[in-house]
Amino acid sequence: MTFEEFKALVIGAAQAEGLADYELYYASAESTTAEAFQHEIKEFSSSLDGGVSFRCLVNGRMGYASTERLDAESAASIVKRAKDNAASLETEEQEFLAEGGQTYAVVEAQDYPLPDAAALTKAALAGQDALYAADPAVVDGCGSYAIAGRSSIALVNSRGLDLRQDAQIAVFVSSAVVSDGEEMSDSYKLRSGDLSKVDIPAAAQEAVKEAKAKLKADVAPTGSYPVVFSPKAVSSLLATYASVFSAETARKGLSRLAGREGERIAADCVTLVDDPFYPESSAKRAFDGEGNPTYTKNVIEGGVLKTLLHNMKSAAAMGKTTTGNASRASYDAAVDVSPFTMVLAPGAFTEEELLRKAGNGVYIDSLGGLHAGANPISGDFSLQSAGYMIENGAKTRAVKSFTVAGSFYELLKQITAVADTVKLEDEGSVTAFAAPAVLVEGLSIAGK
Amino acid sequence: MISKEVCERVLLRAVSTGADYAELFAENTLDHSVHMIAGKIDRIGDACVAGASVRVFKGLRSVMASTVDTTEAGLLRCAEQAAEALGEGTAQIDIVLRERLFGDIHPIRIVPSAVPNGEKIDILKRACFTAADYDKSVTQVTGTLLDVDHNILIATSEGLYTQDRQIRTRLAVTAVAEREGETQTGSCSPGRRMGLEMFETEVDPAAVGREAARQAVVMAGAGYCPAGVMPVAIGNGFGGVIFHEACGHSLEATSVAYGTSQFTGKLGQKIANEKVNAIDDGTMPNAWGSINIDDEGRPAQRNVLIEKGVLKSYMIDKMGGRRMGMEPTGNARRESYAYATTSRMTNTYIDAGDDKNEDILASIELGLYAKEMGGGSVNPATGEFNFAVREGYMIRGGKVCEPVRGASLVGKGSEVIEKIDMVGSDLLPGQGMCGSSSGSIPVNVGQPMIRVSSITVGGR
Repeated sequence: MTFEEFKALVIGAAQAEGLADYELYYASAESTTAEAFQHEIKEFSSSLDGGVSFRCLVNGRMGYASTERLDAESAASIVKRAKDNAASLETEEQEFLAEGGQTYAVVEAQDYPLPDAAALTKAALAGQDALYAADPAVVDGCGSYAIAGRSSIALVNSRGLDLRQDAQIAVFVSSAVVSDGEEMSDSYKLRSGDLSKVDIPAAAQEAVKEAKAKLKADVAPTGSYPVVFSPKAVSSLLATYASVFSAETARKGLSRLAGREGERIAADCVTLVDDPFYPESSAKRAFDGEGNPTYTKNVIEGGVLKTLLHNMKSAAAMGKTTTGNASRASYDAAVDVSPFTMVLAPGAFTEEELLRKAGNGVYIDSLGGLHAGANPISGDFSLQSAGYMIENGAKTRAVKSFTVAGSFYELLKQITAVADTVKLEDEGSVTAFAAPAVLVEGLSIAGK
Repeated sequence: MISKEVCERVLLRAVSTGADYAELFAENTLDHSVHMIAGKIDRIGDACVAGASVRVFKGLRSVMASTVDTTEAGLLRCAEQAAEALGEGTAQIDIVLRERLFGDIHPIRIVPSAVPNGEKIDILKRACFTAADYDKSVTQVTGTLLDVDHNILIATSEGLYTQDRQIRTRLAVTAVAEREGETQTGSCSPGRRMGLEMFETEVDPAAVGREAARQAVVMAGAGYCPAGVMPVAIGNGFGGVIFHEACGHSLEATSVAYGTSQFTGKLGQKIANEKVNAIDDGTMPNAWGSINIDDEGRPAQRNVLIEKGVLKSYMIDKMGGRRMGMEPTGNARRESYAYATTSRMTNTYIDAGDDKNEDILASIELGLYAKEMGGGSVNPATGEFNFAVREGYMIRGGKVCEPVRGASLVGKGSEVIEKIDMVGSDLLPGQGMCGSSSGSIPVNVGQPMIRVSSITVGGR
């Protein structure tokens, strides 16, 4: 059954149940992946996904139900389940559906040609050749992947909203494994966009170079040091702590930024932007998860908290208007709040100048175990790290298996300089993060 | 779900270009969750996940196609895609399916998907209200009661046609406590491969709430954990995450078969301290990580991974087994039809030893007692792992002293399992969700109290 046929059945069922306020959200995707190992295609996969979430308002409370099975029985069942679920809710806050007839920005379509199965296979195999050719230290275990997909979402509600957005993505990944005969090390590089224009050997060489640099890495010495975080490390931290800028989180008492709009919460050099149209992001959005128009806003401006991010529910509860940041992590997830592309704005210094300012310290290239070692509620983090020592103002030997510890809330104030080159490093299905390198005075490092 | 005859036609199509093995996996899953915050039910999740995948193998090549369209036409299209991607060839095998049942070693009494919201809400409230009332420093409590009714069908070109119903229930409570402007959290989240009878026979919801609140309150009063290398005593239960991360993932064919494991080629060799006996057991009745059959249709097994420090077995799926020249071990798992199956853990634990907990603690002059652990992660290629300490205490002169917050443990798996030099006897499982290439799956970790003679503690 097509979504259009299913939609008609659901609307019929909703009306029969006496529901006046309801919404259907449909997400579907097709993707193909070729994965090469030891110069051969190890795994090839294709998928056709799709699901519908139905939600309805009963006494101002929103009930949800979803299904991947589009048939008459499911159409009746999700309406009934959503209505039952709404009746079980106890929250005081009112929920809302977006109004139809709003004006939206035009998101330019990505128009590069999507690779077919043969082109994906070719790219994945070329990735293998490039990895093995890059360096004699490269060993079996290296993977190369080429992925292409199309996705589309549709949002229809009883208030006249009828929105649709299509997107496409193509990704090449070069995953290098190197060995010096004693230990192994790995690293990967990701390229997205038109695969016919990706420089596959360059991606492989970069991945191999990074992996090799980590071989024979030392454990950093325990102590308190100035730390330069790479764009990748800053993006990981932002991704982990993005929820502290959500008004939904704040309203629930799970962020310390509740009610602090207008206050200084970060160093002067910190400006944090949420940009739904960030040029390099593959998740540009004209409308948010509720169907409201999106726009670019400063979350932190010169260290001052300008706004939290809102959906309609948090905005109404806190007497604000929505910032168009309603999000759905997947078709069956409840509406929450997320940034689109969260960008730490560039500062005035080159990365070399940051290293010089640090003098003697640690450059943290990557952070691990963020889901465990960082607590978004308390702000505390103690994270596995890898990077380089900074000696006399320059990166020197590689270090790994050490931790950096601190508090995100304090870190925002401890940033003393921001580099001038922003990189998009962390691109999830809902949110992307882009940042330059930053210098932080005095963080605790635990190593040997 | 899907008739034997339809499965036969789909598999025939799947092997039409010369595959030496084909598998149809179909599922129909009901995911239900009730969420509570600040004493009110604020969200109910209610999803039906339904779809199928066709996998075909030819030698060491694997192709998978998945779809949400489980009509015969949709499945045939899916099989066609898989066959086409495999290449050009002609059918080499015939398909004759025979239904087999493997029995149910995890009986369910109260099917959660048949219970109305109200009864689940009562259970959740008992847990959350207990947490909220525990202490006045508790400022927020969130709770979730989730249940999964996962129905799978597996048909393979080897003639297998079987189904399994996997029901799981989990209660998770997080408490937030505040003291002098500092916020800390505590959580407790027991789960079983059971229905709601779990709350009659195994888990008291009030105790779950109390435990989450106790942790939050203790940690809200804690100072920062110091940084450095020190001996650590790790408590039982979820403390077993150390073995899961430091060693378990590196024993999965997912990394071993591709040479990206620190333990590739080490069978029969001593890889851990002789105090370490480690087991992966998918057959434990009604345990969170248990299965009747794995997602390739193989009955669950109990596999001794490490015996007295010597590596005895890996955890192997079908394709991993082909690459390694070894039999699968009943560890093939996937989150859903949309993920390609690979080798995963089930219930993995360090078995009880004969040290006494008081001796373990008394043996540490200056170190950390990691009473409750959080999650972690590992890179199997390098063995570098990390995990978070949720509730920690300093040990001084063999005595457990003040609580400390914000600690994490990092190291290299092959080194740390050599340093597990004392193993207690109070073996207990802990529940977690484990993420890997085949998605997020329920697993038990477990251990008695152990001592790690020295490890890097991340603190400040």
